[in-house]
Amino acid sequence: MTAQQTPARRGPRQVVVRAMSVFSAFGAGVEPLLDAVAGGTPGFGPVERFDVGRRRAKVAAAAPGSPDLVGELARVIDEACDFDRSTTRLFLAVHGDPALARSPGSASTEAFAARIAGECGFAGVRAYTSACVAASTAVADAAALIARGRAERIVVAAGYLVEPDQYALFDAGRALAVDGRVRPFSAGRGGLLLGDAVGAVVLEAAGSAEPLARIAGWGRGGDAYHVCKPRPDGLGLARAITDALDRGRCQVCDLGYINAHGSGTKQSDAAETAALYAALGDAAAKIPVSSTKSVHGQALEAGALLELIVTIAALRSGRLPVNAGFLAPDDDCRLDLVLAPAPAAATGAHALTLNVAFGGANTALLIGAP
Amino acid sequence: MSATSTVRQAAVGTTVVAEARWPESDHDQTPPPLPGFIVSSFSPIAAEAAARCLSRRATATDAASPRTTAVIIASARGDLHSAAHVAHAVDTGAPLGPLLFFQSVPNAVAGHIAARWHLTGPVVCVADRASALEAAALLIEDGDADEALVLHAEQDHAHAVLLRATPPQSPGGRS
Repeated sequence: MTAQQTPARRGPRQVVVRAMSVFSAFGAGVEPLLDAVAGGTPGFGPVERFDVGRRRAKVAAAAPGSPDLVGELARVIDEACDFDRSTTRLFLAVHGDPALARSPGSASTEAFAARIAGECGFAGVRAYTSACVAASTAVADAAALIARGRAERIVVAAGYLVEPDQYALFDAGRALAVDGRVRPFSAGRGGLLLGDAVGAVVLEAAGSAEPLARIAGWGRGGDAYHVCKPRPDGLGLARAITDALDRGRCQVCDLGYINAHGSGTKQSDAAETAALYAALGDAAAKIPVSSTKSVHGQALEAGALLELIVTIAALRSGRLPVNAGFLAPDDDCRLDLVLAPAPAAATGAHALTLNVAFGGANTALLIGAP
Repeated sequence: MSATSTVRQAAVGTTVVAEARWPESDHDQTPPPLPGFIVSSFSPIAAEAAARCLSRRATATDAASPRTTAVIIASARGDLHSAAHVAHAVDTGAPLGPLLFFQSVPNAVAGHIAARWHLTGPVVCVADRASALEAAALLIEDGDADEALVLHAEQDHAHAVLLRATPPQSPGGRS
């Protein structure tokens, strides 16, 4: 078979997810998040954390109160990591030091990440700031290192809590949905909404312990098209999907679910649909797809980790996440959207989770049952 | 720039095939403007260092065969002037222009560089140069890219290197 003749382009070891922990608009824990996405229950509500009186949009998927990013990162890391971390590296996806913009003399993202790694007892840290693919890039790099035997275990953590600066920027860019709902792949979609996410996953080489899932494959590709607009034919994302499937030795017919990036913006959803057809052919019309941003919002640098955790939880539970907010079909987005709570099919032991970002950055992670 | 210092900046298994900085001389006072980027010199300086580096590639190496090039940006503080401008506007209630949205993350200038030079490899942003070099080496080793533009950019300076896999040493060749 062709797949067996292709060089592996990865190290030989299998990479698994040993543990995961999350905080979202639905509070602490995977179960409340899974219940929300599988039930199609959006977590959007009026923003009370800061003043949005001057903004066009008024809602976000934010947890009550004003949770502290450092405190939540430490909590999810502690919950996921029941081991001595003194020989383990932390890969941390964040926008930057939250204090940086207002105290420029004393802070850096590098120092912020080092502080969290030090407080949590890690041997070292690498901080990722690649916008909406920061966390998936961290997972891909960690998986590649573990597969090659360069690391036994890496913890990937990520955090974004809805705050006034990014909210103002997205609002000024007219990227936020003023109707208060995210409607991925739907006619009448009007943009994205921000959401909280802090998460941690423990990646390690497959061993004797029963894991939650496998990181079966990963792929990255660039659009080389525009500062922020997606390439309309989706070929950068298509290359990422193809690489992830090749690395996982996965056939298209083995895919049971795709957690799409699905930002809810007109151009991006159409480009992502084109990418799915370019990579998967006509099968793209038959594989269940949803964007859970319609439920938990867009968590920027932490979004890809939130969606990885959702995808793993869905795969394990057999419950397909719902593409909420749908109004009517769009000819540019002809996909088999999950529009109501549904069990996963018995076939299709793999799932893809896709992310795209400014700069034409695209990632695909292929998740396999353990 | 000495050859020794250049070699030190390459990751294990890779070789620097082109290199550039901003500033490189006293003539480098104001970087060429970058359409669509306002308020801050971060992205214009990063783009200029990248342009110089990639231009030197064309004359120094074989440009005939298409290559997949990753764009990796390392920055400890990112676009600090833009971030401070946004924070001040939010705190004082001043209006924000839509262009600031587009340059709010380091990916933005990476996207400009990738589009300008048709670089179709992965786009990665990290907070330190050592991590960027390590990430570049692994992307090349795993075949995600044939080469990597590693751009260390801060508010007033930038350093770009183009990395490729070190060719296998021929038997009896010089060390």
